[in-house]
Amino acid sequence: MALIPEYRADVPRVERFNFLARFSHWGHTVTFLLCLFTGLVLFLDGVNWLAAIFGGYAGAGLVHRIAAVGMTIVIVIGGVFGFKGVIEWIKDLLRFGKNDIIFVMKFPLEFLGFPVKMPPQTRFNGGEKGNSMLTPTSVMLLVLSGYIMWFPAIFPGGLVRVAYWTHDIAMVLATFMVCMHGYLGSFHPGSGESFWGMWKGTVRADWAQHHHAIWYEEAYGDKDQDKTE
Amino acid sequence: MANLTNLYDVSKCTACRGCQVACKDWNQLPAVIEPFKGNYQTHKDTNGDTFTIVKFMEYEDPVDGVQWNFLKYQCMHCFDPACMKVCPRQAYSKTEWGATFHDPDKCIGCQYCTYACPFEVPKYREREDKITKCTLCVDRVEAGLTPACARTCPTGALTFGPRDELLQVAEERVKFLRVNGFPNATIYGKLELGGLNKLYVLTDTPDKFDLPVNPKVSGNTVFWQDWIQPYFGWLIPLALAGSATSFITTRILANKHGAHGEGGHE
Repeated sequence: MALIPEYRADVPRVERFNFLARFSHWGHTVTFLLCLFTGLVLFLDGVNWLAAIFGGYAGAGLVHRIAAVGMTIVIVIGGVFGFKGVIEWIKDLLRFGKNDIIFVMKFPLEFLGFPVKMPPQTRFNGGEKGNSMLTPTSVMLLVLSGYIMWFPAIFPGGLVRVAYWTHDIAMVLATFMVCMHGYLGSFHPGSGESFWGMWKGTVRADWAQHHHAIWYEEAYGDKDQDKTE
Repeated sequence: MANLTNLYDVSKCTACRGCQVACKDWNQLPAVIEPFKGNYQTHKDTNGDTFTIVKFMEYEDPVDGVQWNFLKYQCMHCFDPACMKVCPRQAYSKTEWGATFHDPDKCIGCQYCTYACPFEVPKYREREDKITKCTLCVDRVEAGLTPACARTCPTGALTFGPRDELLQVAEERVKFLRVNGFPNATIYGKLELGGLNKLYVLTDTPDKFDLPVNPKVSGNTVFWQDWIQPYFGWLIPLALAGSATSFITTRILANKHGAHGEGGHE
């Protein structure tokens, strides 16, 4: 079995993520992973080999800061130029309802590979909605607490002390979600086309209809009536 | 080995600041010139190149008029130092005679210690991107000498020796002061934070000397170090293990139940 389903250009495809969404996504991927591995140098004690990859502890600290600034830039670009998309994203998250709860309840079985019948989902399914809420919140906390830790002298001491544990909690939560997201968005067989949705921007129409029936109907239903079963 | 410590008796201090100069001299610290701030104190606080300062606290007594309180201020060399607890590079260590030693070679300048310290003593030295603080003259003491500050003190306000002996001296002195015009005289450093390896004889309550009356390690620091750091991080390997399990079980079950459709599961 292939790790990721083959990209099929010969079947009807629909757009899932526009360029800006993909730019933000992969921009965060690169900067987050750089920040993560340079940050783990301090979070885990005694990983000198990890620090050595970045040229020692000072080097890791420098890479951490550069990547953090990069991440800030990605957030600003995504937030300013993709403002409309962010609003649509948030609107979809606010549709969290009964179908999403059923999805999340049944998901552990799906996660392990048991065949499960899921209720129709909007653009983002229950699990994706959870990820979309938790991860960006954690990243915002990471950025804010990070700048406080970087320039502690200009903030009140009490805030700096709060920033330390906030940074750690947000890092662990975000990394937990990123691990799950990375796996579910690629090698999990049930995820299917979702990788291509973020890599090339389009997904197979039949996949979209199966996995995100409500979204598909709302976004493409009228135009693609003939393709529905 | 018994703890070796400094006893600083404010009732004998004339605020000559010889200790400050001797400290700069021995530790080869460059001068840090700060603008005049309306009193005789040289520096607002200790800094990256100033390990000890003499604080000048002015207050107006209704009977005696304007009074001065002096206080030599530096690292307190706590028995259970918070700086050592939070340091991610183990740059801090306790010598067997009680000094809290900071190794600049291990320091990465993260400043966690500055904010963990109840006295905010460890200071950032920007030109080196490192933290510095009083060493209790580890190098001198281990060579059989007394710390530079104690050696230079002309009035005997600063003495150096075994902590238990100095504690007795301090207790005698406090008794004497209490019946000789300083009813609030007290010892500082005996019990604070479980004991400090710096002892003070104060002529008044600690708050009159700009010292925290009941110093405490912030709850934020305790929460961070005792709960988040040791336990919370396990969520990450849990996610990795879960993904690995799913990677295997999905493929086993796919063979059993028939593969997912091409576009995903059907």
